[in-house]
Amino acid sequence: MRAQYQHLFALPWHPAPCEHRSMRRAPLLPWMLVAVAAGLMLAGAVLNALAGAHGEPWWQSALWVVATLASAGVGGLIALRRRGHPIGWLLLVNALLLASAGAAEGYAQYAVLEQPGALPGAQWAVLWDQSGWPLMFGVLTAIVFVFPDGRLPSPRYRRVARIAAFALAVFLVLSFLDPEPLEAPFEHVDRPLPSLPAAFAFLWPLALLGFLSGLVAAAASARSRFRRAAGIERLQLKWLALTAALVPVTLLICFASALLAAGVEERSAFSALFVFMLGAIPASIGVAVLRYRLYDIDRVINRTLVYGALTLLLAATYAATTLVLATALGERSAWVTASATLLAAAAFRPLRGRLQDAVDRRFSRARHDGLRRIREFLEELRAGLIAPEAAEPLLRDVLSDPALELRFWLPESEIYVDGHGHRVSDRPGDERVHTPVLRAGAPLGMVVHHAVDEERPRVLREVVEAAGLAIEIARLRVELRRQLEEVRASRARIVSAGYEERRRIERDLHDGAQQRMVSIGLALRHAQHELGSSKHPASRIIDATVDEIDVALEELRELARGVRPSQLDHGLAAALRELAARASLPVEVKADGVRFPLDLEAAAYFIATEGLTNAVKHAQASCVRLCAERVDGKLMVSVSDDGIGGATAVDGSGLRGLSDRVQAHGGTLQVDSVRGHGTTLVAELPCAS
Amino acid sequence: MRVVIAEDQALLREGLRSLFEDAGHEVPAALESAERLLATVRGHRPDLVVVDIRMPPTFTDEGARAARQIKDAHPEMGVLVLSQHIETQYAVDLVSLGGFGYLLKGRVLRVADFLEAAQRVANGGSALDPRVVATLVSGGARHRLGQLSEREREVLELMAEGLTNSAIATRLFLSERTVEAHVRNVMTKLDVAHGEDAHRRVLAVLAHLRAMHTQY
Repeated sequence: MRAQYQHLFALPWHPAPCEHRSMRRAPLLPWMLVAVAAGLMLAGAVLNALAGAHGEPWWQSALWVVATLASAGVGGLIALRRRGHPIGWLLLVNALLLASAGAAEGYAQYAVLEQPGALPGAQWAVLWDQSGWPLMFGVLTAIVFVFPDGRLPSPRYRRVARIAAFALAVFLVLSFLDPEPLEAPFEHVDRPLPSLPAAFAFLWPLALLGFLSGLVAAAASARSRFRRAAGIERLQLKWLALTAALVPVTLLICFASALLAAGVEERSAFSALFVFMLGAIPASIGVAVLRYRLYDIDRVINRTLVYGALTLLLAATYAATTLVLATALGERSAWVTASATLLAAAAFRPLRGRLQDAVDRRFSRARHDGLRRIREFLEELRAGLIAPEAAEPLLRDVLSDPALELRFWLPESEIYVDGHGHRVSDRPGDERVHTPVLRAGAPLGMVVHHAVDEERPRVLREVVEAAGLAIEIARLRVELRRQLEEVRASRARIVSAGYEERRRIERDLHDGAQQRMVSIGLALRHAQHELGSSKHPASRIIDATVDEIDVALEELRELARGVRPSQLDHGLAAALRELAARASLPVEVKADGVRFPLDLEAAAYFIATEGLTNAVKHAQASCVRLCAERVDGKLMVSVSDDGIGGATAVDGSGLRGLSDRVQAHGGTLQVDSVRGHGTTLVAELPCAS
Repeated sequence: MRVVIAEDQALLREGLRSLFEDAGHEVPAALESAERLLATVRGHRPDLVVVDIRMPPTFTDEGARAARQIKDAHPEMGVLVLSQHIETQYAVDLVSLGGFGYLLKGRVLRVADFLEAAQRVANGGSALDPRVVATLVSGGARHRLGQLSEREREVLELMAEGLTNSAIATRLFLSERTVEAHVRNVMTKLDVAHGEDAHRRVLAVLAHLRAMHTQY
């Protein structure tokens, strides 16, 4: 149901192209109908006044004027805003009928009672006044049938509506062609139309039954719609029900008065009730529409108010300026007019802004406040006082929806992520609404929020649209962070793969090449033994060859150790001690036997190696201290020397490589190297990786 | 002497077997893994067991663990561990047990030295690869050994390798008497208690070197 009426608010912040066209085309018809209704109403009022004692009492005329205006106003507004929607046109027709009935009554009173024969066609006016009323019921029935979405509640009602329309038509024909004389005080006026033969009198009860059935069916349709409705639609229907209940009451009273043949006084009271009903229904629809922003009517009202007031103020400005200047100069001249025009033109923009602001503040508080806060937010954003990610809490606050979520669209990965770059998707059973956020037609993300009610649908869209810049920046930042995260992760993976590769190469060197060379050497020694005599020249060649093999073995061993020391298999502490043992200067090692993940130990070892190499090569140190320990879930590796200090991490230096290695593990490297006070490197490597 | 070999690489295994056999020793068993080594040793009761330190399945320290087990079960049996890399901690730990040798694989190519070391280990002596000893006395330790003369340092290294005085004398082309004087000087300068027992002398020297080595 909710979804079904969502389209009522589907008025868009980017109007659909067709709507655009219809908006641009001058909406003549609604205005014309309103004008005709107003003209008829005016004519009726004038004739009623001219009818003097024969006319209606003033309050009845006033009631009638109000009813007509309400119907024409609401109908006109809706028809302007929603040309395809039947409610607006039905209300306009209602206004026309009301106005024409009023005009006809005034005409009849004046032309028949006050000044008999003064005007032509008086009997037509009487006939319309007395027999046209079922048509008004028909219009009201139609309104009840289709309120508020402009459609019948279900296809089943199509046939019902057709039967009701047919019954109404028969009823109207019978009314207009009735052989009975017209009602008082026009009983002596001749009917302008021929009378139906008495044989058709049997149709009366049938038509009446059909007509009443139509009313009952309309009530039933509203009832069934109400049962299915939720939220705002229910509230709207309640407003309509409030006044629609008057229809059967009024009808009963009218019939009762006709049956009882009540006097003219009572009849006029009933007629007033009838008029009241005819005005009350459009008024209640108007309330339902305005109060719940149905048909997006507030925008029309907003514009109308702003430009109406603007026109008045500009005219006043022009008039006042002209008056003042003309008085001051004592004469009218061309440049007085020019100055007044200029002033009015200059006042246009600021005045319009002020008026718009005032009208917004008065008539759409939530929207006004929301947009103002977004503007302030954007200003702070431009000034660099606030992060664009704060858009989400701001939207939550402005739209008073604490569960509101802002999701960003990442076009490359084609996923939605939250402000932290984590992928998000809908939990099953989540009934929140997804409103897309677009900027220049490209999707930025979406706002996930609870179904909006009351006056918020358009406010939400406008507020979100206004925050578009912040959302776009936030999206870019999220995307950047995510990509950075991915780059970091892949760098860590590459580094880890590097350690693994080193391990494999080291194994291959030791267990493959070295072993094979030893085997070859042994084979040679065996051959030498077989020669028997150590004096044999071949024996000396074998000795020399085995010596070469020994050298090659040594080289291979050094190569393998450089690739990855096998001591790492026994832990970081063992590897560091081995490293210290081989150093060309005294190295103190502080490390306990705590084990860490293999790649972390390898990283720590190579950090220590590079730190030590730096100390030996550049620092002119006399001793070095290596330290590896677990502190607060981190592996802390430090290399400190007593050398000359002044080390900097320039490109290509060992420190730069160290820093890269540490960062690959998501760690930090701190270099403390004051000239003359030695160098201390501290690398912090997070253990959970 | 009777030698049992455990080496996973066939070529090397056979090379070692012919090396010992060429020298007139007996090789009753040559295994390709450490798994059945203890049972085999129990059966054959060899004078010496030669074990590769890295063997299947994990290629980390299967050989070393098997060596320790053999030593625990048969303290009198000599165990010679062959390794591909220089490790001071581990090697000194093993060698300190006595009747134990830690040699780099390449050492087998120096047949005479290798067999001499093997014989020494089989007899309950020690053998530490010269390269491991060189590492022990290098780096920071070298500074600490600054008080020794070049010759004394050479003697110290040979002592650490497990050589007896006569072997040292042969190696350095010195008389045994001169070697004894050097040994006495070294022990005094390093403040290491010295007796006549060659093994305890090695232990004392190794302990000293290791302490010196790890102090930094």
